[in-house]
Amino acid sequence: MSGPLGVVALLALLALGVPIGIAMGLVGLVGLALLIGPEPALIKASVVFFESTTRFELGVLPLFLLMAHFCFAAGASRDFFGAAACLVGHRRGGLALATIAGCAGFGAVSGSSLATAATMGQIALPEMRRRGYSTAFAAGSVAAGGTLGSLTPPSGALIVFGIIAEQSIGRLFTAAIVPVVTQTLFYMAAILLVCHLRPGIAPPSPRISWVERGKAVLRVLDLAALVAIVLAGIAMGWFTPTEAASVGATLALGLCALRKRLTREAFCEALERTLRTSGMLYLVIIGALIFAAFMSFTGLAEQIAALVHRLHSGPTTTLFAIALLLLLLGSVLDGLALMLLTAPILLPIVTSLGVSPIWFGIFFVRTMEIGFVHPPIGINLYVMQSIAPDIPIGRVFKGVLPFLAADFLHLALLIAVPAMALALPHWLD
Amino acid sequence: MDSLNPPAERGRGPLFYIGAGALLATMLVETVAVIGRHLRLPLTGALELVQVAIVPAACASMLITTLRGSHAAVHLLTDRMPGSVQRQVFRTGAALAGICFAALTAGCAWLTADYWNSFEQTEVLHIPFRPVRVLVTLAAAALALAFLQRAFRPEKKS
Repeated sequence: MSGPLGVVALLALLALGVPIGIAMGLVGLVGLALLIGPEPALIKASVVFFESTTRFELGVLPLFLLMAHFCFAAGASRDFFGAAACLVGHRRGGLALATIAGCAGFGAVSGSSLATAATMGQIALPEMRRRGYSTAFAAGSVAAGGTLGSLTPPSGALIVFGIIAEQSIGRLFTAAIVPVVTQTLFYMAAILLVCHLRPGIAPPSPRISWVERGKAVLRVLDLAALVAIVLAGIAMGWFTPTEAASVGATLALGLCALRKRLTREAFCEALERTLRTSGMLYLVIIGALIFAAFMSFTGLAEQIAALVHRLHSGPTTTLFAIALLLLLLGSVLDGLALMLLTAPILLPIVTSLGVSPIWFGIFFVRTMEIGFVHPPIGINLYVMQSIAPDIPIGRVFKGVLPFLAADFLHLALLIAVPAMALALPHWLD
Repeated sequence: MDSLNPPAERGRGPLFYIGAGALLATMLVETVAVIGRHLRLPLTGALELVQVAIVPAACASMLITTLRGSHAAVHLLTDRMPGSVQRQVFRTGAALAGICFAALTAGCAWLTADYWNSFEQTEVLHIPFRPVRVLVTLAAAALALAFLQRAFRPEKKS
């Protein structure tokens, strides 16, 4: 009974606004004290705290964040959207397509859904509104596009999953590439379909000369090269993910200087933002590891796994049930809390069914992404409303519906064809 | 944000310079190590240098986040509570966090004392682990104090 009680206590603390890391650490610590005694519990929790702060693999998080902040200072978001808008903006729905492409590009340097939605929203949303796009459709496309930041490597969510699940971060990054590309294509297909059915919601913009288009593409070549070097370096084994983060941050710093955007204030601002977000993530990860230690002592995951085996439900049925559970929980919990609460419980269940933990990481983050745009609390939807307070939240919900449909189709495809995630890392091994 | 009267943006203090310095040092060491490895001029013990450099960055970042009240929290219920109840809930959360970190401080101090005479050090560069253990224990204590201060400080009069 201690496992379910622990989960209920955790949910109660989270609902009361206790910081996620603290709630998990506290429930884990008290739970361990009740199960194995106060002294071993204290030692176990302290070992987790010490090892987490001295673990060099955890350095990958702040360093990728630093890379993202240097890229942001270099004007990455505006340039990615600008290049995509120059290329396809003249088509019906072209700016929405450019938003999705811009989000995929910026997602690769930001690694965060929230940051991608907030940043691209400030650039793409006013532009689409100025060009006469439907407000619902414009807000929906930015909110949905923002989710690409969670899965596009180097992704913060995948790094956290890799640490919690003790899986190779490099393999997770490689496994995410095909799902990200197909997700982007699914979103683009949704835009084209909506524009075909309702042409009035996204009028075409004036065509831009090929010279202008070429210049816009040239402006993002350095950023694209940075992303390519980081990802190729990990995939080809030139460096480890931690080293990739350092190399990426150094290159981003150089790129910022080359673009003459590296002021003392921008430099300090990037470092400060990195430290602030890293501190939040460190605390959450430490709490989650203490909670995971408690969960492993309760045997809850094994009990659920045994129940699943007794029900003779195959992997596919179980995965659909898990997706449903994650979507339901995702309606009341934020993505990080959801991952850290459920990953230690669900991972042993799915691995006992023969599912690859790498694939499960991709599936998990993909489901989590849907939670970012899933009413009623999809956080990206509220980010859109905070950027454009005159757009009622109901219109944002309406605008995101075609993208949600694309999301569900894409998730079903990911479950039906696991090779979408596993083929590339397998091929590179 | 779990802020109770969130502190105004302050100037960049010593914590920022410690954290930023450690982060830049980590970045530099790893980049040099990668370049060196590909030029067949490996940087001996780079991993150990990174392991030691990342500790001040981690400790400073957790403290900065706590002092700025920037920890991740779920606000589904609390946002709908009246102001006075909300403040009490935040205070309780901060007190729980303070207790949690006080326990971790005790545990870390215990471990530090246990390992004090075992002369732990890294394998290649022989960097002693004692200062690292002390730093982590001090960071846990500072986090406990920061949370407890937040829980029990008097409310600002508006």
